[in-house]
Amino acid sequence: MKKFKMAALISMICWVGVVFYSVVVSSQTPQPAVRLSTEPPISEIRPFEAEAAVSPSPVRLTLQALDAAGQPLENAKMRLQILTPPHNPWFSTDFPMVEGTELLKMEAVAPKGELQLQQMLPIRGDYKLLVEVTPVVANAFSPIQQTLTLSVPESSVKYRNFGILVAILLAVGLGGGLVLGGQQEIPVGEIAPQRVRLLLSGVILLAIASLLIVNITAELAESHTHEHHSDASHSHEPGPALLQSQGLEARLVGDIETTVGQLAKLTVQVTDTVTGQPARDVILKIKTTPTEEEWAAFAYQGVPDEKGQLVWEEQFFDGAPHQVEVEVSPQSQSTRQFSPLRVVQDIEVEGVAPPMRSRLIVLGYFTSIIVIGLVIGLQFKRRSIWQYRH
Amino acid sequence: MKTSSIGTLGSLQQRTVRFTLSLPVQATLYTSLFALILWTVYFSTYPAVHNQMHSLRHHTLMVGCH
Repeated sequence: MKKFKMAALISMICWVGVVFYSVVVSSQTPQPAVRLSTEPPISEIRPFEAEAAVSPSPVRLTLQALDAAGQPLENAKMRLQILTPPHNPWFSTDFPMVEGTELLKMEAVAPKGELQLQQMLPIRGDYKLLVEVTPVVANAFSPIQQTLTLSVPESSVKYRNFGILVAILLAVGLGGGLVLGGQQEIPVGEIAPQRVRLLLSGVILLAIASLLIVNITAELAESHTHEHHSDASHSHEPGPALLQSQGLEARLVGDIETTVGQLAKLTVQVTDTVTGQPARDVILKIKTTPTEEEWAAFAYQGVPDEKGQLVWEEQFFDGAPHQVEVEVSPQSQSTRQFSPLRVVQDIEVEGVAPPMRSRLIVLGYFTSIIVIGLVIGLQFKRRSIWQYRH
Repeated sequence: MKTSSIGTLGSLQQRTVRFTLSLPVQATLYTSLFALILWTVYFSTYPAVHNQMHSLRHHTLMVGCH
């Protein structure tokens, strides 16, 4: 019996060893995968900075599909979905309506198994890139599905400004606490202690002055903006959404109105007007820019699919009008040569105010800082009065 | 009767003054005033204010703009 138990134990140890070894070996066996590289490097990526002194640049994302041997998978179709970081009402970003939404969805032909695009990342946090690679020729290779994570830290400027704001709010609370916490002597014939009256008068004057400055400069800035609008409208050349030239027809269709937080679907179709067949031997260069700015929200260069189409869905996170421009140019090795065609579509984007809940939460944080300063000031003043009396 | 009602009114006025000048009320007014200023500067959707404060809002942590 003892020998039987020993044999059973040794057998079990061997089985566990075999299972463990096979798991370790299989995990170390190279698998087909999608590799992500970025420009700038991932550690240097920062979210979009609105009204930056220097025009911000989108991040260049390169997704390379590799086989088990680490070689690029050729003649692939790559589908990409970019999901923004999840919504967090307790720690909001400056684009709360963008949180927890889809930023981009596209499917493109990747002759060399590489999908390269430029995308402006609007907020901090962990972006999810859902990639699906399928062969153009059926069963040429096993499809790959992979989820990649791209972490974008917050800009340090925001932390610095927040620190300054906290210091100011604490000082405001502290000052109020020191004044309110002092002994209040009411002179004969008066209804309020002089110090309190002075404090409240000063604060009220400050509030009036602040609101006046804000409103007056807002009015002046708005009149300046009207001039700027007319200047900006000339910085982006208008163009047709449908163009026929040199035996080709390029057509850009899709959603011309959208809202922040939602995807707008766009399609570019290239057709040979002579044969009526889709034209595939062309290069498509897509670029999306806000009408009043110079920075690119999205850019992509690729080839159309078998239908002569390129379909994509993008979110316009900045609630301002955008222009989508597609340039159709010939491939260098193609027999079809022509001067590039350019089609343009203007997109109206409706901005959405941040949720009231998020705004009230952050206002609560700021007000709490004032209250903390107030309590500290009151405690300090009472302690000093108590010490003076004793 | 007249003396009694005048006395009551005087007492009410004094209670109102005492209440208004009490520390909790003063502190609440003070805090509320600054909360209102903060709301105007950082969270108001009034277009003129939004446009003027646009850069400040985008460059301050946790402040949502659009």
